[in-house]
Amino acid sequence: MSQSPENKKGQVETTGHVWDGDLREYNNPLPRWWLWGFYGTIIFAVVYWILYPAWPYADTYTKGVSTVSFQSPVLDKAGKPVKGPDGNVEMETKTEHWNSRALFYQEMQSSPSALAQKEWLAKVKGMSFEQIAANPDTLNFANSAGHALFGDHCAACHGTGGQGVLAMNAEASYPNLTDNAWIHGGDYAKIVQDMTNGIQGNMPAFGALFQGEKLTDLAQYVLSLSHQPGVNDEAANRGKASFATCAGCHGANGTGNQMIGAPNLTDKIWDFVDVSGAPNIDAKLKLVEGVIDHGLQHKMPKFSDRLTPEQIRLLAVYVRQLGGT
Amino acid sequence: MSANTVAITAEQYNYDIVKKFAIMAMVWGLLGMSAGLYIASELAWPFMNFDIAEITFGRLRPVHTSLVIFGFGGSALFATSYYVVQRTCQTVLWGGKWLPEFTFWGWQLSIGIGVILYMMGYTEAREYAEFVWPVDLGILVTWVAYAMVFFMTIRNRSQPHIYVALWFYSAFILATAILHIFNNLAVPVAWNSLDSYSLFSGVQDAMTQWWYGHNAVGFFLTAAFLGMMYYFLPKQAERPIYSYRLSIVHFWALTFLYMWVGGHHLLWTALPDWVGSLASAFSILLLLPSWGGMINGIMTLSGAWEKLRSDPIMLFMITAMAFYGMSTFEGPMMSLKSVNALSHYTDWTIGHVHSGALGWVAMITIGSFYHMVPRLWGTKLYSTKLVFTHFWIATIGIVLYIVSMWVAGIGQGLMLRAFDQYGNLAYTFVETVTFMHIPYVVRALGGAMFLSGMLLMAYNLYMTVWGTRREVLPVADQSAIAVSRT
Repeated sequence: MSQSPENKKGQVETTGHVWDGDLREYNNPLPRWWLWGFYGTIIFAVVYWILYPAWPYADTYTKGVSTVSFQSPVLDKAGKPVKGPDGNVEMETKTEHWNSRALFYQEMQSSPSALAQKEWLAKVKGMSFEQIAANPDTLNFANSAGHALFGDHCAACHGTGGQGVLAMNAEASYPNLTDNAWIHGGDYAKIVQDMTNGIQGNMPAFGALFQGEKLTDLAQYVLSLSHQPGVNDEAANRGKASFATCAGCHGANGTGNQMIGAPNLTDKIWDFVDVSGAPNIDAKLKLVEGVIDHGLQHKMPKFSDRLTPEQIRLLAVYVRQLGGT
Repeated sequence: MSANTVAITAEQYNYDIVKKFAIMAMVWGLLGMSAGLYIASELAWPFMNFDIAEITFGRLRPVHTSLVIFGFGGSALFATSYYVVQRTCQTVLWGGKWLPEFTFWGWQLSIGIGVILYMMGYTEAREYAEFVWPVDLGILVTWVAYAMVFFMTIRNRSQPHIYVALWFYSAFILATAILHIFNNLAVPVAWNSLDSYSLFSGVQDAMTQWWYGHNAVGFFLTAAFLGMMYYFLPKQAERPIYSYRLSIVHFWALTFLYMWVGGHHLLWTALPDWVGSLASAFSILLLLPSWGGMINGIMTLSGAWEKLRSDPIMLFMITAMAFYGMSTFEGPMMSLKSVNALSHYTDWTIGHVHSGALGWVAMITIGSFYHMVPRLWGTKLYSTKLVFTHFWIATIGIVLYIVSMWVAGIGQGLMLRAFDQYGNLAYTFVETVTFMHIPYVVRALGGAMFLSGMLLMAYNLYMTVWGTRREVLPVADQSAIAVSRT
């Protein structure tokens, strides 16, 4: 291709065919670099096929000469893992022809990141939550692991930073984990329990008991508990009697009950309806009346199927410190 | 079949059908690219969903892809293939008036109905083959008619040899028929239901889909547009094709090799490893045969480079060849397992597709249309200056698009595989999404520029056909001019 056809005029002929008045073709030879390049890719392909599984034949395929080694449990004749004297499953090195499953095992067993994670997991294994949190190194590890796990398993509902979602609709709201108000309790053991088993939150609908003025009065009283501006004291007083129905869960003073997940109504923290964001007392009343009228159903799935106990422990350290003490 | 047959003149060709397809290519192109710009904006600013199901990304995305590939690209291929087959065979289109007309209405209605159904939520959920089964049948009947018109016209040729452009168009028509039929084999739920189940299941289904998907790229978006290139580029350059020998070798290598590479879309999945490495190596083998077309295109202009200064149509065509060369290099690299582990499921793929779709497919089509439309209507191009402007807007738009997708794709790929010092994943998925916001904005900007170029083109062609004709050329003189220009 060093010479353009222009330079070779008189040497390179066209094929002699003419279409549509003026369409012709030179008969230049294949550019040499192109031809050698093509041969090069053929050599590449052949080498690739020799190295890796490639061509099917009969009911199998060529396996290739490249291999992958990884640790695999020793199996007895019945195909069950053999346990050694220390009670652990005995491992042996297994070498297979190149395949992506073996490569995955190998990477999970011996990549630098896998080894680093293993080392840190071993470090925190026997430690209590408080010990992990007290040591800056192990706390950093727990936060790093927690951040990754939280992003993949929790953030879809609770938000990427654990800030939760406060939607117009109470059913589409998810609690904020960064405040220090814990609806279901914020000690480590409780967090682990809730993540492991999930949560069924259920406030019954009280629409049948309270309607009209009665409902509004009760809502006025609920709002008075957290000293919302604009509350009508007279109406709140009238509603106080009705609150006896609520006290069973939310407590006589409305301070809530973490054992059954009844939120504290006396702080200014609202996790399911945006009372703080409502522009005026009428809007706030409407939100609270809606909850009393329809009740609230909330469900957090259990994560024992998705996360290991050790992952849940690390996640608990991370979540716990999102909310502070 | 005889070379002695008296050559027919331009006004005897069936240009009416070519005009219709050319107009619809522009209509679908503008609609499809607008849909593309809209969904690109939705990714940058998700509120643009407005919670309306019909315009969410999931529904509009196949509207975009189907309109630009089949609406714009397909109509452009119908138009140019009907134009080229008549002119290089020197015979009028076979099938009288009604059969080509049938292919026009069959194609346009199938696409129109298909994309409206997408917005209503009816899809087969097979990428680039989302049309529901009744639409698939419509396309099938249309395609058989198309093949008959095209091949019978070649049979009736008054030229002894079949021009290289027609080989590529033929391969495209044959392969597309096979691909369309096998990938859409499905069992309808009921005769009066739009829903159906694929005949295949599991990994076989995925393999069939990507055998189709990659060959749609290979035969619809590559071979067919190479056919377009082989006619319009030497016509515009007024020079012979660089190498007949190269065209033969790369034609057969390309058509043989493409059929093997679909598996590279499913690396690191449930697809057996051997299917993947077979496809990866074939993808590398495909590099030089693909480049054969680029060499033939670019070297055809060799010795007449000064045309690039004065002829913006030539600029479009040569740039199309450059983007073609770039994306056919990028493709084989991305099909290597180690590169694919990084690039797959990221926007790198989207960038790669668009360097081919905008840079190659759209640009060669644009160049060919600027050449063909004035000749169809027997007028002169309204404004060469606007073509220059179009070229620069489009090229900058493409570059913004590709570069932003490299940043987004490679960036996300690296973030997803990054570990911190503790061996934990350094980033969560949503952090990669946050990272991609700026590239997404730039991509939407690039798309907006490309679409603006298309609007300029639509205006320019409109003025070419309907704006200047009345003033400059009395209707009665048209055919004479058309002949003199050929």
